[in-house]
Amino acid sequence: MAERKSIEETKVALHDVVREMYDRIVKGEPPTMTLPVRTKNNIGFDPKLGVYKYGKKRTIRDATSLGSAKQLLRALHVIEFIESMIDDGKSSTLREMYYISEGWGLGKFQSQNESNNLAEDLEIVTRCLREDFKLRPEEDGARMIGNLTLRERNRRGEWMRINARDDVGDSGYGVPYNVEEEKIEFLEHDINFIMAIETGGMFDRLVENGFDEDFNCALLHLKGQPARSTRRIMKRMSEEWDLPVVVFLDGDPWSFRIFASIAYGAIKTAHISEYLATPTSTYLGITADDILAYDLPSDDLSKKDIEALNAELSDPRFADGWWQEQINMMLEIGKKAEQQSLAKYGLDFVTETYLPEKLQQLGL
Amino acid sequence: MSIAEKMAANQKQVAISEFFEKNKHFLGFDTLNRALITAVKEAVDNALDACEEARILPDIVVKITKLDNSKDILQLEVEDNGPGIPRASIQKVFGQLLFGSRFHAIRQSRGQQGIGITGVVMYSQLTTGDPTHVESKIAKEATAVSVDIGLDTRKNKAIKSNQDRIDWGEKVHGLKIKTKLKAKYQRGRQSVWQYLRMTSIVNPHADILFIDPDGEKHHWQRVTERLPGRVEAIKPHPNGIELGQLQRLCSESSESRMTTFLRRTFSGVSQRAAKELCEVSELEEKLKPKSLSAQQVRSLLEAFQGERLLKGKAVKLLNPPTSCLSPIEELLIKKGLSKTIDSKFVTTMTRAPNVTQGNPFQVEVGLIFGEGMAADKPVEILRFANRVPLMYQQGGCLLTKAVESVDWRQYGLDQPGGRGVPKGPAAILVHLASTNVQFTSEAKEALSDNETVMEEARKAMLEMGRGLRKHLEKQKKMSKTIEKFELINDIIPAIAKKSASLLDLPVPDLAASITKIMSAVIAETTTTWNKETKQTDVHIILYNYTSRARSYTMLVNWPERQGATMVGNDLGGRKEAMGVWAWKLETLQPGSQTVIAYSLDGLEKGDWNETDVFYRGSQEVIGATKMDEKLLEEIRRQEEALNAPPPEEGEDSPDDEEEEDPVEDAAEPEPTAPAGDTKQTTLFGGDY
Repeated sequence: MAERKSIEETKVALHDVVREMYDRIVKGEPPTMTLPVRTKNNIGFDPKLGVYKYGKKRTIRDATSLGSAKQLLRALHVIEFIESMIDDGKSSTLREMYYISEGWGLGKFQSQNESNNLAEDLEIVTRCLREDFKLRPEEDGARMIGNLTLRERNRRGEWMRINARDDVGDSGYGVPYNVEEEKIEFLEHDINFIMAIETGGMFDRLVENGFDEDFNCALLHLKGQPARSTRRIMKRMSEEWDLPVVVFLDGDPWSFRIFASIAYGAIKTAHISEYLATPTSTYLGITADDILAYDLPSDDLSKKDIEALNAELSDPRFADGWWQEQINMMLEIGKKAEQQSLAKYGLDFVTETYLPEKLQQLGL
Repeated sequence: MSIAEKMAANQKQVAISEFFEKNKHFLGFDTLNRALITAVKEAVDNALDACEEARILPDIVVKITKLDNSKDILQLEVEDNGPGIPRASIQKVFGQLLFGSRFHAIRQSRGQQGIGITGVVMYSQLTTGDPTHVESKIAKEATAVSVDIGLDTRKNKAIKSNQDRIDWGEKVHGLKIKTKLKAKYQRGRQSVWQYLRMTSIVNPHADILFIDPDGEKHHWQRVTERLPGRVEAIKPHPNGIELGQLQRLCSESSESRMTTFLRRTFSGVSQRAAKELCEVSELEEKLKPKSLSAQQVRSLLEAFQGERLLKGKAVKLLNPPTSCLSPIEELLIKKGLSKTIDSKFVTTMTRAPNVTQGNPFQVEVGLIFGEGMAADKPVEILRFANRVPLMYQQGGCLLTKAVESVDWRQYGLDQPGGRGVPKGPAAILVHLASTNVQFTSEAKEALSDNETVMEEARKAMLEMGRGLRKHLEKQKKMSKTIEKFELINDIIPAIAKKSASLLDLPVPDLAASITKIMSAVIAETTTTWNKETKQTDVHIILYNYTSRARSYTMLVNWPERQGATMVGNDLGGRKEAMGVWAWKLETLQPGSQTVIAYSLDGLEKGDWNETDVFYRGSQEVIGATKMDEKLLEEIRRQEEALNAPPPEEGEDSPDDEEEEDPVEDAAEPEPTAPAGDTKQTTLFGGDY
């Protein structure tokens, strides 16, 4: 598990970035910032951590083009801004920082995407977390239902004890953006596994059918590509309570990617994979087999789908035999299916037949 | 005789008033909108032609007033400062159809077939029953004539009424017409506004004020004091003659010998050619032209058209002289376009005159590009024949087809499929100047197909396209240069300052890293109009941002051909070719810069907005182009060709000729190659 940095360490790490630029100018060279290459060609499996991390390839962003030079200048402004927040004990959202950059003259951001990417760049270079930088995402956390109890420190600083089955409504417990120990502590549980679900419709179906109680599990709604806090809370629960995670997604190339980011780490955040990824999670469905075995209503693969599948074939995270087989099979049948296509056999089919059968195969 | 009287004396008459009444759709009066445009056009064309002949800079005022909304009755007033029309001629000019001095002369003129202003008088009378009010003052009379003109369409005669003399105050000469007509005022592509706008583009010497029915004033100012070149009438060329015309010329001739007749009546016929023509058409040289039989005339025509051969070849004729043409010329097209459309880049080209079927013609094109025009719409095509705007039947016109025949995609404009009218923020002007413009129909709105003209127009377009492409490439390079400057002037210093303040260290020196970053030689050029000195100031800074010393010769283009002079050029340098100046610079040390500055005198504002900079040297210069020595050579060759004395026509010394033909001119020059074959290239893609 990643080590959290102290305030002093964070500042030193940020200053190192500034130092690199300054020293280059003193040497009569263009200022630079050195970053790992952030593509699938530069991620490798770290056997010690059990996740995929960035490899050794480095890219040097130097100030010989206007675009890169502006990036460097922005980085300096962001560092200055972070330092002032640390000193003042404040925090801000990435969006707020984007608007604050309006006052940075030449260093202002042209789009929110730029500011998000730069925050990530700094995380990578400094090996800090953006929580250390006092920057918050906008992204929506997940929701969760199941018989588990945790305590969350609310905005008045008081700890609240919450049972994610008895103390919440049908929409479940809302996962906050910060799920670190200073914010959330896990107390007790009576569940055997955690099931992560891609779509809200399926999550609600399982809740309505009482699946969490029948099968002693926690249900977690991912909302598509899961936010950092969603992946982080899965990781913590799985690690601290030693629970298996099963992932129930649509059967298409994009779901495979969601799974890879949960289990092995996302390419974009490979610098903190050990912090976000849950290597013990399992892909439950929908698999390419399922489309055939259950004769599910399906759609033809689009051109983009096919491109994505082919890209996955050369992605190191999908290098193992099972995945290669699944991807190739999907390419062969040329079909994809949604989770909710299981409703073809009635509303209860998913909870009474499909999931029990699949869980049994996994030995749960 | 005053000019006005002389012009009037040339008039001949044709009696077909009734023809008009039945065929007004041919003559541009078929719709209410078009009738108004045609009326304005006839009046304005007349004004421009008259001013041109009398060498007067035209001031024209066009005013349209709504008289009766429900009945679409408008009043049109057109006033000019031309020579005016003598009292005795007013009746003829306004009251007889096909009455015009220009109908019979072979030269370039606007109202080529002279249906003219009488048509307007007639239309007015037919639709409102009222006569047209005319006021005219000629310079030598103290007062102006005021008269109302109506028509007797059967007798092809004018009916005058209310004739009077009035005082015009200060104004020395001019013509004023006030007429009522059933018509509609519309806006848009086919409107009086568009007609006048286009007219002002190709008549940059005219000042045109238009007051529309809402009282709004549209003013197109004069941008040059230079009148169009004086055009000479030329004799017909054998290649362009038709049978009836030849018959008439023969029967009306008082010459006593065929050879003399041929040489004096036609252009392009030398003494030798006259003899050869007689020989191939089996006519005796001594024959009187008047006595030719119909069969003999036909033989002569066959000889003219090269159907009768001498030793297997058609009789060699010289090209007709091109002094009968009056191109607008590149610089004036540029001015005309620039004043009407607010964009910075204009490229123009006037092709050398060429000949088709015995008729001299010349093609001119102009392209204006840039902001201020819609980027996703088809480009505006501005068509002109002898300086007259063509506004209808765009699709069927030769000039449009010439635009469409070019693959504009390679020059930076959108063109789905590489065919048709291109799209983009541009307007393309095409002007055909010719002694005999061939239209597809009587409406005179579209030019009919002609391979030779098409080829000329196409070549001009390609040249234009190259100019545009160069401009776009240059713009791209420029924006890169601008980026580099922003980088070293703003961003790097900001990085240095901010990093120093974050680390609490002194701001480091930047010179060395800037050299590393740029690692280039950069030329920054500005061309600006100096209001105070009335000169165009050109300023070039050459920076050496490399780690080695560099030496260069820098070259620029400048409008030498347009009569500009270079002043305040302290660095000296030398002329490399027409319009190309060069400076051999001293070695430029790393991190240093040199400034070349000079001004151009003798130009007007907007004549010269952009200077092309070239270099000779090993290291690339950003912001300049490597000199293409071959092109420079080509320019020198062209210059030599231009300066060489023009070959003589080998004919035409009518005053001292005796009955007896002199011995064959020994020094008769070989016919010159058709002018259209000269390869016209410019260093700057026609961009003057």
